[in-house]
Amino acid sequence: MPVETVQDVEFGAELEAFAPDTSVAATGAFADAVGWGGGGRFKDHAAARLEGLPGALVPGIMAMGFLSSMIHRWSPTAHIEHIDTVFRAPVIADEPCSISAVVTDIDSDSGRVELDLSVRNGKGETRVFGTARVRLPLG
Amino acid sequence: MVDIEELKSRFLNLEFDRKDFVLDPERVAVVARLSGENRPEFTDPTHPDFQASPAFIASLAAGRHLPIEFPRLGGIPMDGGKAVTCLLPVRTGVPLTGRTHLHEIYDKSGRSGRMIFLVSRMEIYDADGHELAINDARMVIREKHDDAG
Repeated sequence: MPVETVQDVEFGAELEAFAPDTSVAATGAFADAVGWGGGGRFKDHAAARLEGLPGALVPGIMAMGFLSSMIHRWSPTAHIEHIDTVFRAPVIADEPCSISAVVTDIDSDSGRVELDLSVRNGKGETRVFGTARVRLPLG
Repeated sequence: MVDIEELKSRFLNLEFDRKDFVLDPERVAVVARLSGENRPEFTDPTHPDFQASPAFIASLAAGRHLPIEFPRLGGIPMDGGKAVTCLLPVRTGVPLTGRTHLHEIYDKSGRSGRMIFLVSRMEIYDADGHELAINDARMVIREKHDDAG
């Protein structure tokens, strides 16, 4: 059921996730679009390894993008007021990752909802974590 | 060892960079689509409320990372994270200005030594001076000591 107002939000609810596209084609195109495509670290595994990295990386802000997209899919009326992501360890391109968000606070008077966020790799290791504050209509 | 309080007194809250931007709508839309976004106000440049997503706002970088006089701390700065505060829609195709200052300086010590955290804050304004968004970039530097013997 779509979340339209703050009245629809349940404390502790997990947002429905989607499978992010971490292909090196996608990370390279993302890097090009934000002007970071000059080096190989987001576009080419071999070039990234030459820099001492384990492989081509998913840009940290792309992980932020996955998380904010999940919030927008969860609620078509949600406005992200603030999103904070900590890049704990690299997310590697062409490797699966999962995204998650859980409701940790609800203020029914203001419509504000707090979320805990994370991005994990295929081994279940947290690579990016953070929080978001979103505002929804009061209903 | 670097004196964090001295760094704070010398460098916090002083603008050290000002940079102009005009966001390209196609690039903004590409970033949103590759992020898995499905709301047209972020993915469709023809949408009447088309605007940059938080991830695109986070990509806006100052002309320099730190003030010119900021001391070298030894280690290589790492990208420790990004935070975006969305105040008003950030539009494409219009003049924007990013004004950057150091917002926070703090340290954490552990078994592997001291890590110094620098939060560089870019405030993004439109041509009328309205503040649209705040983009915080967290840099982490592992302090290096000169072990001369």
